[in-house]
Amino acid sequence: MKMNYIKKLILIVPALLLVSCHDDLDQTPIDPDSFTETDVFANADEARGALAKLYVSLALTGQEGPAGQPDITGIDEGTSQYSRMLFSLNELTTDNAVVGWGDPGLPALHALSWGAGNDFTTAMYYRLAQEVSFCNSFITNAESLSDNTEVQDYIAEARFLRAFAYYNLIDLFGNVPLVTVVSTELPEQDSREEIFSFVESELLGIQDQLKESGANDYGRVDRVAAWALLSKLYLNAEVWTGEERYTDAITYAKQVINSSYSINTNDANGNGSAYDELFLADNDTNGAQNEFIFALNFDGNNSRTYGGTTFLVHAAIGGSMDASAFGVNGGWGGLRTTKALVNKFDYAVTEEDEDGNPVAWADARAMFYTEGQSLEINTIANTFTDGYAVTKFTNIDSNGEAGSDEGGDFVDTDLPLIRVAEIYLNYAEAVLRGGSGGDAGTAVTYINELRERAFGDESGNISAGDLDLQFVLNERARELYWEGQRRTDLIRYSDFVTADYLWPFKGGAPTGTAVDNYRRIFPLPSNIISINPNLTQNPGY
Amino acid sequence: MNRESMKQLFKSLWLILFMLPMSFFAQNVVNGVVTESATGLPIPGANIIVKGTTNGTVTDFDGNYSIDGIKEGDVLTFSFLGFATQEIPYQDQTTINVQLEEDQATLDEVVVVGYGTVRKKDATGAVSQVSTEDFNKGQVTTAEQLITGKIAGVNVTSGGGAPGEGQNINIRGIGSISLNSSPLYVIDGIPIDNGSIGGSRNPLDFINPNDIESITVLKDASSTAIYGSRAANGVILITTKKGKGQEFTFNYTGSTTLYRPTDYVDVLDADEFRELVNEVGNDEAVARLGNASTNWQEQIYTEAIGFEHNLSTSGNIGGFMPTRASVGHTNQDGILKGGNFSRTTGSINLRPSFMKGHLKMELNGRGMYTENTFANRDAIGTAVDYDPTQPIYDEDSPFANYYTWLTYNAEEERYIQNSLAPTNPVALLNERDDTAEIRRFIGNAKVDYQLHFFPALTATVNVGLDKTNSHGRNIISEDMPSSQLDWNGSYSNYINRTTNKLFDAYLTYENDFNDHSLNAVVGYSYQSFEYDNYSFDSEAEEEGNDSEFIDKSKNVLLSYFGRANYNYADRYLVTATLRADASSKLNPDDRWGYFPSFAVAWNINNEDFFNSSTVNQLKLRVGYGEIANVNGLGDYLFLTNYTGSRSNAYYQFGSNYYQTYRPEAINENLRWEVGKTLNLGVDYSLFESRISGSVNAYLKNTEDMITYVTVDPFTNFSNTIPKNIGDMENKGLELELNLIPVQTEDFTWSIGYNLAYNENEITNLPDQVETGGINGGTGNNIQLHKEGYSPYSYWVYKQVYNEAGRPVEGAYVDRNGDGQINENDKYLYKDPYADITMGLNTNLNFKNWDLAVVSRASLGNYAYNNMASSKSYEVRTTENSILTNLHTDYFNTRFQSLTEENLQSDYYIQDASFFKLDNITLGYTIEEIVNDSNLRLFGSVQNVLTITDYDGLDPEITGGIDNNFYPRPRIFTVGASLNF
Repeated sequence: MKMNYIKKLILIVPALLLVSCHDDLDQTPIDPDSFTETDVFANADEARGALAKLYVSLALTGQEGPAGQPDITGIDEGTSQYSRMLFSLNELTTDNAVVGWGDPGLPALHALSWGAGNDFTTAMYYRLAQEVSFCNSFITNAESLSDNTEVQDYIAEARFLRAFAYYNLIDLFGNVPLVTVVSTELPEQDSREEIFSFVESELLGIQDQLKESGANDYGRVDRVAAWALLSKLYLNAEVWTGEERYTDAITYAKQVINSSYSINTNDANGNGSAYDELFLADNDTNGAQNEFIFALNFDGNNSRTYGGTTFLVHAAIGGSMDASAFGVNGGWGGLRTTKALVNKFDYAVTEEDEDGNPVAWADARAMFYTEGQSLEINTIANTFTDGYAVTKFTNIDSNGEAGSDEGGDFVDTDLPLIRVAEIYLNYAEAVLRGGSGGDAGTAVTYINELRERAFGDESGNISAGDLDLQFVLNERARELYWEGQRRTDLIRYSDFVTADYLWPFKGGAPTGTAVDNYRRIFPLPSNIISINPNLTQNPGY
Repeated sequence: MNRESMKQLFKSLWLILFMLPMSFFAQNVVNGVVTESATGLPIPGANIIVKGTTNGTVTDFDGNYSIDGIKEGDVLTFSFLGFATQEIPYQDQTTINVQLEEDQATLDEVVVVGYGTVRKKDATGAVSQVSTEDFNKGQVTTAEQLITGKIAGVNVTSGGGAPGEGQNINIRGIGSISLNSSPLYVIDGIPIDNGSIGGSRNPLDFINPNDIESITVLKDASSTAIYGSRAANGVILITTKKGKGQEFTFNYTGSTTLYRPTDYVDVLDADEFRELVNEVGNDEAVARLGNASTNWQEQIYTEAIGFEHNLSTSGNIGGFMPTRASVGHTNQDGILKGGNFSRTTGSINLRPSFMKGHLKMELNGRGMYTENTFANRDAIGTAVDYDPTQPIYDEDSPFANYYTWLTYNAEEERYIQNSLAPTNPVALLNERDDTAEIRRFIGNAKVDYQLHFFPALTATVNVGLDKTNSHGRNIISEDMPSSQLDWNGSYSNYINRTTNKLFDAYLTYENDFNDHSLNAVVGYSYQSFEYDNYSFDSEAEEEGNDSEFIDKSKNVLLSYFGRANYNYADRYLVTATLRADASSKLNPDDRWGYFPSFAVAWNINNEDFFNSSTVNQLKLRVGYGEIANVNGLGDYLFLTNYTGSRSNAYYQFGSNYYQTYRPEAINENLRWEVGKTLNLGVDYSLFESRISGSVNAYLKNTEDMITYVTVDPFTNFSNTIPKNIGDMENKGLELELNLIPVQTEDFTWSIGYNLAYNENEITNLPDQVETGGINGGTGNNIQLHKEGYSPYSYWVYKQVYNEAGRPVEGAYVDRNGDGQINENDKYLYKDPYADITMGLNTNLNFKNWDLAVVSRASLGNYAYNNMASSKSYEVRTTENSILTNLHTDYFNTRFQSLTEENLQSDYYIQDASFFKLDNITLGYTIEEIVNDSNLRLFGSVQNVLTITDYDGLDPEITGGIDNNFYPRPRIFTVGASLNF
């Protein structure tokens, strides 16, 4: 009898187990770092973490600092940081910078010879498109909490960030898909004009929904950011849409200038100029923050990346430079500049070496390291000492102390993406290009404000007769170099690809050469073209 | 097929099983019992056939049989799988009781297949088996090494020369790009998880090679189909030794091994380097030269020693429970100083039978405890980099006198290491302590119950557990040269736990009637895999950041399977399999997949018309099967979820830092990747098996291949997602030939030769996927997956050479003719996979001497010499305010700088075809050293000789990128084995 019992058990028990195990196929994440949509949009406090991702995806590269769980794959993680790529695409392609590294696709940038598979153009497209998707997803999900006023602010900020991403996409790639809801449908391509209109209408639409000037947390945008971005957008409208919008550029530049933001005049470290404060480790508190309309926030402990200002500080140190003077533990020996930038400060040279090369300037914006560096560049690759080094960004604060990372790796310095000085120059340029609502006299005043800050006195001031369009372009180079603006500026002046303006190794030739017109915009990634038949590659690529 | 139709299908299967008739005849009757001679237990299912007729029967569950219709002079043949066949003439006996002896020779003819065994001559698929006597000898630490070079189409490559190093094993090429390409390992019926475990060098090192009886490789889909989705890349079945005989016997095997480095990477010596720096460096650089003459590679490598002890016993407890138990201990040092691998294994196997053999149990327990000490492999690269004119120690160095490239930090008022300098290789070895202990237990209990009321049917339940627990830690001393300003040493640790559970239940129906024989299996299988990892980082703790991390996941596989083997008169063989698999990794709608396979074979030699005394076997086989795959795919990828950021990736709003939530990339439509394989084969055996072997041709098409491909980030939250996109084709030809030129009582000589030709091609891939990260620059890749080419093809610039044949720096062929050199000029050139691999082995036994030689050849595999490409440009000598040594390939190229194009030049893609003499083992056996005991003494040399044109250290590089490769030592072993 007992045996029969066992026999039955052997047959029945498996049959029972069999049924119950089917439910086991429905597994859900058990990792403590994993959250569901319900968790994240449970309330305004939690949703702030999702909003923070929209900002941080421009500042950092993934969910682990400085690297790990990257947002973008297929490229070195540190390289994939937004402002580092913006530097690569908008500064390395110009007279402002060269780099000696053999990273894939990097040397082709200064040589103006990139192809459609270039790692940097590709990763930048990915980063910006992903930012659009992050924003779209946030805007959709946050709707469920939209009776909360705080969440209404979040949504307006998300729309700003999406517009900012599209602003970059227009500038860099031109004709991209306009997507406002995340969907697996392959998107259709839209024209530069259509994207332009979208960015414009979004910024106009949210200007009153964003917080009042200066009323938001540091690091989050308010309505002044929308105005500032509009002024940038209108300034470039002629290039991007064929339609002049200089009057609008002046209108919104004036709204910014009249807001609670102002240029920093506090010489916190007492070195004679209030310009360098903008790039110090404590630029979130030393007064510079009043000039920052939109900045990326970094921190040596809490917000770590191999991009951002960590990149701008380390990569620019090499040769005989003392890394500790920049508050870090060493240099990466990469970035230098060409004599084309250095020569823009020739009017302010105070000291030359025995070969007649400048080594000191009265203009405090000429932040170059010259010892052991040659002004001329013979070799870009692996040769840090060819070309002057740039000392603009540092991890030292106003008191001369290094930043918060005890190890000396990661930098505290925040990076301004839009600051008041740029808007001054936008105003001046728009006036000179024929916009109405402003005047050259006011423009000279604004420029002299920048000059006085740079010189520490009025010795560098200009008169109305000095002010012309070429002057503004050069002044933009002096004020804004290495801040991600140069390529866009050169294109507006038709100097980027033409023989009108040459710089060392432009187009790969030691003395510079013109390249094809189509290089004024970057190619859409060849990978994206191959998976989305709706897209047409930009001409020339 | 939905679940409803599944049910119907199983119902039909049942009907077929029960409707099969059993045959009875009624004339002269003989009765009797068939038992095992060793245990006296009855043998159910034994065959009794009247020789030369189709009259036969099988024993019932008590071993009883009854056969009629026989006349005087008939011969009764008693046979059972694994036992020697007996023939007894009928001379009017009414009872014939037979005791069958377990037969070693017959055992060899049986091959293990999923959920059962078949006689080799009945196998319908591409199956190769290697048993104890043919295993590779010498120093063998892990199971895969036993069959290296023995089976056509099975490539075993060690990851390098470290003790206990993992082995990469590929069967018939690369079947998938993104998913795991390793085969499934099944140990005594338990499919194990061969994913990597933190702190472990090789997921298979828990099994002591001395416990292995045989290794069977199932290569084609018709034979692997029964294992379903985990078997997409073939199956390696490991059968362990079982208890045998009545009396307990013991075996002790021990050996001592010497590991000797054979060669170093070619670098400039101190004098050459000094000369070069004087020639190319400025005054500052020349001033940095030291006066020493240090061969850094000699400093980091050493001769190493290892030893091994194994003790096993086999016998029978109480006459009903065959038992085997073993313990083993292996201890090996690495040739990279400081590394050690120490492993203790224990195993027990019990096979009790109850109810006169109706209820059989098998209990296996296998435990492993390993202590690993990892030597710091960073030293391999920095020993190549380090300036040979500098001494190892320098009393002015603040880092425990290790010579260090220093830079003064004014802020801290002290010297730190230059952040771009390599770290002193001797310090790297001495000042890091990286250790781990791994505990693993694999146990299973299997119960076979042969139904009393229906003896042709056996019900089997198999329950298994595989638990691993690994604890590791990495301590770096404060004396390690560092550029960190707050350097005070660091400590990190981790705990990895995996728990895998298995539950199998199946019914086996086996019956022979006349010339028909049928074996059918239907069953159910449940497997779950749980991972629970913890880690801690002291650096993060000091900074006040998150310092403890937890990582957990679980997935479940559920399957139903059925298989029928039908054999008509040993001439026509048919196998049909159907498996239904479901994985929790896939969305509920696409979760279930149904995968059939079918094979037929024809034993031509058993046909009446085929009458040859020369040909013992000639079998033609054709098989087709489909197998799904999600091995290596991440969990929960079809669900929307958010990942929280760690505290060093927070974002500042106001004066606070906030955790951020990222929505993860999602693919709701992930389905099974399906491999469809067609296999044609011939098995042959001639001249009394003096010549035997097989020939196989296969074509495998993988469809819906899961690949991490570009997704438009406008439509998702990342730029890559795993997607069912693309197809891959693998095709090839395999030849196995075994020769026994001499076979006498005193002298046996056997030769085994195998050859495999294989071709992998991506036949459909809309996107192209870069892969193969290399050293040099940041983020450079050297390989590409592209339609129309082999996966992992090298994607390179075409180098231009001058008249003297020297590569011209920066000069590449402008392939698209647009006047500039950029990535559009790259082309696909060669791949890391061999077109042809061969193995040639020979065994000689002369009286008490035995000699075994194993060699291998690989043709058409190319390697990327990353050591040369990243370390041989002139500016490197003096850049970054330090001195750095060069690879001697600099003298061939005289390249000035490291650029993306130089790194990706086809100049560095080199033919790495090779011939290797792997192993020579010589043994001598002393019989009856004391009564009933014998002693074998042996010595072996491994990695004896390599013939290749490849310039790097070793042409055999898994994945084809030669960078910081841990050199394989030459290995000398002496040992003894005592049976008593």
